Amino acid sequence: MRNHHASSFGDFRCGNCGALVSSMQTQSGVNNRNHCPYCLWSCHLDLYSSGDRLSACKAKMIPVGLTMKKSRNKYQISPRGELMLVHVCTDCESVSINRIAADDDPKTILEVFRNSLNFCLHNEDEISILRNEDMVIEQLFGMRIPA
Amino acid sequence: MKTTNESDEGVVFRKSLGHYSVRIDGQEIDCELSSRLHKELIYHTSASLKHKVQSIREVDKADPVAVGDRVRFVDAGTGRGMITEILPRRSKLSRPLPVPGQRVFEQVIVANADQVLTVFAASSPSPKWGLLDRYLVTAEAAGLPSRIVITKMDLATQNKSLEQDLEIYRRIGYPIHLVCSSTGEGREELKQALHGVMSVLVGKSGVGKTSLMNALQPGLGLRVKEVSQGDIGKGRHTTSHLQMFDLDFGGRLVDTPGMREFGLWDISPEDLASLFPELAPHIGQCKFGLSCRHDNEPGCAIRKAVMAEQVSPYRYQSYLRLREEL
Repeated sequence: MRNHHASSFGDFRCGNCGALVSSMQTQSGVNNRNHCPYCLWSCHLDLYSSGDRLSACKAKMIPVGLTMKKSRNKYQISPRGELMLVHVCTDCESVSINRIAADDDPKTILEVFRNSLNFCLHNEDEISILRNEDMVIEQLFGMRIPA
Repeated sequence: MKTTNESDEGVVFRKSLGHYSVRIDGQEIDCELSSRLHKELIYHTSASLKHKVQSIREVDKADPVAVGDRVRFVDAGTGRGMITEILPRRSKLSRPLPVPGQRVFEQVIVANADQVLTVFAASSPSPKWGLLDRYLVTAEAAGLPSRIVITKMDLATQNKSLEQDLEIYRRIGYPIHLVCSSTGEGREELKQALHGVMSVLVGKSGVGKTSLMNALQPGLGLRVKEVSQGDIGKGRHTTSHLQMFDLDFGGRLVDTPGMREFGLWDISPEDLASLFPELAPHIGQCKFGLSCRHDNEPGCAIRKAVMAEQVSPYRYQSYLRLREEL
C-alpha cells in the first residue's frame, strides 16, 4: 500500500476519563501514543498498522485484558515477551493489541488484568488473554508483591 | 486598414515575465498588459446617475491574464501590442499564490481549459497521492474532468504498490493512462483522449510533462533534463513558463512548470466533501445532516462508508487533511 505517514495527533484529552494526555515520546517511551495512561482506554484510530491513523471508526476502545507478544529479538528484556494491552472497539468490536507505555499506571493495568479473568475474546485463538497473575505482576513490578 | 484604436481578439498562448504571446490568425503578437487590467473600476450602480468611475480597487490576482484567455488587444504593428480586455472565461484552474509580506493572491494557471491531465511518474520521483488528491479536488471545483497520467512506465517495476494505489482512483471512475514517453506505450490512447479539446498538464517537477509533450508531438523539441541523480529523483524545474501548443492531431495542450505546492483556492470547508466524487453520494445522510464535518461526529455516513470499504481510507484521510487547511 501507499506509504502513509500520519501526522502526530499531538496531545489529546482522553475520551473516557477526560485527562489531558501528552504525546511526547520522552514521556511515554512509545512512538504512537494510543491510549490514556490513567484509565488505559484508547481510541480506534489505526487500521492496517500501528500509527497509520487510517481508521474512520474513531470510537472509544476499552482495555479488556493483557497478552504477551513474543519478539524475535534475542536480547529482549524478558524471554516470555512483552506485556501488551488488548483493546476492543466499543463500536465496531475490532480488537487491537498495544504496547504498554512507560507512564501507564501499573495499578490500573493490574486492575484490567483482574477484570479480564472471566473475559473471553471471540478470536482468542489469535490473541490469548493472560490468566497467570504471578507472571503479570512479575512483568509489571519485577517481583511478587506480598499480600 | 485598421486604425490604432481598433482592437483585435486573440488567444494567449504563452506568458513569461509580463509578456504574453497572443495568437491571431496563426500570427503571434508579443503583448504587454494595459495598466487598467490591474485595477477594477467601480461605477455607480444607479442607472439615473452619470456613468462615472466611483472608485478603483486593486485586482486580487497575481496576474489578471492566464494562458488560454481570450483577450482583446491593440496591435501596435511590428509584432507588438497591448492587451486591453479579458473576455469572459468558460473555466479557470486556480491556486493560491502567497506573496511574502502581502495577502494571498489567486493565480489562474489556465483559463478556458476543457480537461486536466494530472501527471505523475511511476517512479523517480515517486507519486505523491496527496498531491494528486489536491489536483483532483481543484479540477472538480473548476468543473473540469480529470485524467490521471502515469509516465515513466518503464520504471514501474520500482514501484510495487503502483497498481494497488491506482485501483483506488480507478474505482472512483477517474480515467487512468499509463504511458512511457521513450517507448511510446499508451501514447495513441492518450492522443484520442486529447483530440479536439483543450487540456492542461499539471504535476510536480521531473514527472515528465514536457517529455510527454515531445512524445505526443514530435518536432516540438522542448527542453527536458534528467531528474537529479540522488535517490529522491527530484526534478530540476526545466520548464519555467506556461505555454499552450496546437496539437497536429487536433486539440490544444498547455505545458506548465512543475508545481510542488498546490493549495486550494476559493473552496469552502462545507463544499470540500462534494469535490470527492466517492464521498458526494453520502452527503446529507449523516445524523447531523449537512452540518456534519465527517470527522468525529456520531452517525456520520461518510465514516460508515469508509468502514464498509466503499471509500478508500487514504482518500478519506486526504479529505480530513485538506479540510484542516481550509
